[in-house]
Amino acid sequence: MADAGKEKKPLVSGYLMSTQFMELDGCTRCQECMKWCPTFDVRQDRPGITPMYKIAKFRELLGSQDGLRAKLFGPKPLNEDEINIWKDDTYMCTTCGVCGTVCESGINTVELWEAMRPNLVARGNGPYGKQSFFPGLLGKDRNPFQAKQSERLCWVPEDATVLESEKVAYFAGCTAAYRQQALGVATVRLMNALDIPFCMLGEDEWCCASALVRTGQRPVMRDHAVHNVDALKERGVETVLFACAGCLRAATIDWPRWYEGYIPYKTMPLSVYLREKVRSGDVEWKRPLDFKVTYHDPCHNGRHLMHVKGRDWSFEAPRDILKSIPGVEFQDMTRSREYQRCCGAGGGVKAGIPDLALDCAKARLDDADLIAADIIASTCPFCRRNIMDGRAALTEKSDVKVVDVVEMMAAAMGLDTTIPDNPYMQFQEQDVIVCEEVCEIETVERKAEGKDLVGEAH
Amino acid sequence: MADFYTLGLTYWRVIALTALVLGVWIYGLYFMFKKWGMGSTGYQDELRYSFWLFIATWIHEAFKGGVWVFVKTLVLDVLLLRRTLRRSPVRWVMHMTIFYGFVTLAALSGVGLLLDTIIHFNILGYAHAAEEVFVMMKMPFNIFGYILLVGSTIGVARRIIFREVRARTSAYDVVLLGGVFLITITGFYAQWMRGDSFLVGDIFAYPIYAPHFALVHTILALALFAIILPWSKYQHVIAAPLTILANRGGE
Repeated sequence: MADAGKEKKPLVSGYLMSTQFMELDGCTRCQECMKWCPTFDVRQDRPGITPMYKIAKFRELLGSQDGLRAKLFGPKPLNEDEINIWKDDTYMCTTCGVCGTVCESGINTVELWEAMRPNLVARGNGPYGKQSFFPGLLGKDRNPFQAKQSERLCWVPEDATVLESEKVAYFAGCTAAYRQQALGVATVRLMNALDIPFCMLGEDEWCCASALVRTGQRPVMRDHAVHNVDALKERGVETVLFACAGCLRAATIDWPRWYEGYIPYKTMPLSVYLREKVRSGDVEWKRPLDFKVTYHDPCHNGRHLMHVKGRDWSFEAPRDILKSIPGVEFQDMTRSREYQRCCGAGGGVKAGIPDLALDCAKARLDDADLIAADIIASTCPFCRRNIMDGRAALTEKSDVKVVDVVEMMAAAMGLDTTIPDNPYMQFQEQDVIVCEEVCEIETVERKAEGKDLVGEAH
Repeated sequence: MADFYTLGLTYWRVIALTALVLGVWIYGLYFMFKKWGMGSTGYQDELRYSFWLFIATWIHEAFKGGVWVFVKTLVLDVLLLRRTLRRSPVRWVMHMTIFYGFVTLAALSGVGLLLDTIIHFNILGYAHAAEEVFVMMKMPFNIFGYILLVGSTIGVARRIIFREVRARTSAYDVVLLGGVFLITITGFYAQWMRGDSFLVGDIFAYPIYAPHFALVHTILALALFAIILPWSKYQHVIAAPLTILANRGGE
């Protein structure tokens, strides 16, 4: 009787491709995904969040509306409580894609989860928690931090050279522009030191909008994709470099889906470009970094792109750079490359279900602790943010630092990566390498109170 | 075949039953593909609700990487189950033996029916030759039967022995694995009851009841093939290889 008078909403499934309907029936229940799922690993009491059960539930719901029984006797009434539990299960996933890597049926799980979520949004069940702020924030400010677009490049040092247009572009991303400016400064310094002429979009750089696709809120995505592609085309760019795995993934896979014209440029991880410079002997190391370093593969740069860009670009380039830095003792964690454990932040989990994101990050820190690493290096500001947050949430203090590969390279080259004073200094919160006689890593604590409205956005 | 045509079965009844089973199976496939056709043909594309557009989408996806990638995926991932081998050699042995055991026995049964038709109508005067071939097929039937038995035994055993697997075993798994195991066992028992059987000789010989077991075995196998596979959650038997091909092996 509780539902009396309420309008019965039909199940929505129209965002699935027909081959994805087939994938739902292709799960063999081999349980392999359950062994690898990073969120199930920290929520063992909720098997419903694992791929096998999510698929089974959706298949059951679809069957109740369109199966043989439904054709003969009519569809069963939908149970809203059941749908809401399934919605929670669907959103308690970082879309890291390890399930797809180990799936015996070869189901493209990342695409499947990202096609399931818009149906929930269209039906009014999704997104989850604060994820619903993304479209409004991006639609209004073009970034998730409520920051001014006109201040996109406020962190670029005065003596640095950033061109208006050039064949090579550096797409910094919102996090490097407003919250982890040490990465932006290190990138610009490196490019200048290596005599690589490059441009940036500045005010014309809009958020990559990855978070919208990951959380099933697609509509605003088109504006951002089209705008960014057009801005890069207008500048005659041929190669776009990314030091943010999330932006790289969005620019490589998502933007072309929304852009109807020809895209003349190629996207490239900055680490690949820099590795070529190391190999060609252009890089002059000036300081040793005497640390035991491990590398955390971001899902967006690794599993999401390994079939597009190849394993070498996705996994080996950053490792090759780290191994070439003098003083660095490199060791992989047990789970690495395509079997890596997700940091827990992706898929909108950081914004929607922060405690789950933190628990995943703690598990990743445990992986690093097992090999007694001093530094977890990565190429994703978002992974970095979440692993640092996980570290802060630990009851037993961890000494593991989290630094970007680019910053390590800049430090070893003896570059000055001091962030110039700018309106966002108070929001900086990151581990930075400080080198005097020897290099050490300090944690910069955020001076402004409170957290961002939606955490970060990938 | 003489011992098969008992209990009211005749050649024409078997033919009619076969046609019915194939009809149900083909309609099941059509229904399944039509259901999958509820989706779009591409990212953000409009919906068409079409059987043929599912086929078109599947072909488009499966051949996206070219014919060579399709063939490679078909051989390595569908026929040799490379992805399963990477994850678990035990499961790989289980799947390979069940798959090849079942498919070959089904194919041999089809050949058996064809031979029986030749014998029944003495087509081109080959009735005698067909009878000889029929006798020769006894050995491959036995070999692939034992292969299937090994696979289904592994399947049942790992569900019982491994605690983690046991804990997550649902009715869904029990019916499918149990069904395959039951079909295999009834098939073997029917054969053993006939006497002079491969490996076991006359230990279980009881020829009077052999046809009964053979009939139970046949009905179970046909029910699994036509009534259960395309109409239930066990569609994965058909959907999984198609998924692997559509996703180009997930590689």
